[in-house]
Amino acid sequence: MFTIGKLAGLTGVSNDTLRYYEQEDLIRPADKSPAGYRLYDQESARRIHFIKHAQACGFTLAEIRELLMLRGLDQACCGDVRTRAIEKKLQIEQKIRAMRAMSRALDHLIEDCADETKPVKECAIIAALERANLSAPIQSP
Amino acid sequence: MKIELFYTPGCSACLARHDELRAAAKAVVRDLDWHDVDVLENMERAVDLGVATLPSIVIDGELTFTSMPTVTQFRNALVQRDRGRS
Repeated sequence: MFTIGKLAGLTGVSNDTLRYYEQEDLIRPADKSPAGYRLYDQESARRIHFIKHAQACGFTLAEIRELLMLRGLDQACCGDVRTRAIEKKLQIEQKIRAMRAMSRALDHLIEDCADETKPVKECAIIAALERANLSAPIQSP
Repeated sequence: MKIELFYTPGCSACLARHDELRAAAKAVVRDLDWHDVDVLENMERAVDLGVATLPSIVIDGELTFTSMPTVTQFRNALVQRDRGRS
């Protein structure tokens, strides 16, 4: 059994984060010490490693909670987990596309500002951003 | 009317009601063009259409359902779209 400090050291996660995970019902103490401190078992350590890996793949804590729930369900199958991984990939691909569009829009702004010695009041980037209609994002061809 | 059902093999929610939806579409739509689209083989198109959850149903190029509808919801959507076209 581990105290919260020991569990934090084992998993590389701060005490505050562990308390947050507990608040979010992602981990649960297995027992309490005679002095009333919460004690965690190896399963908590495994769950924290699981959470860290899933976060590295882009899953939110709410999604990770579902994955952990599926992990414990006898009737769940690999296909259900795979579907969630594919949905996450779709969402990431959409974000990548949106970020590429932002990067292209920035390229155009940077190209417009050919003379970097001009005073800021004449800055083409500031002017272009001021012209941009908030309801219509800056277009890139 | 072109209907694309985006799915992935092994997705239990994608299989649920699939046959009933297809039968409902056949009954309601005269010029039905039904496609079961494996999202992994068509990732670019799925991203183009805004598909982010599975199953998703795209009708005539428009993302219409982002989860499996009931047969009634699906039939209503088809009837409404069919009326809009005529």
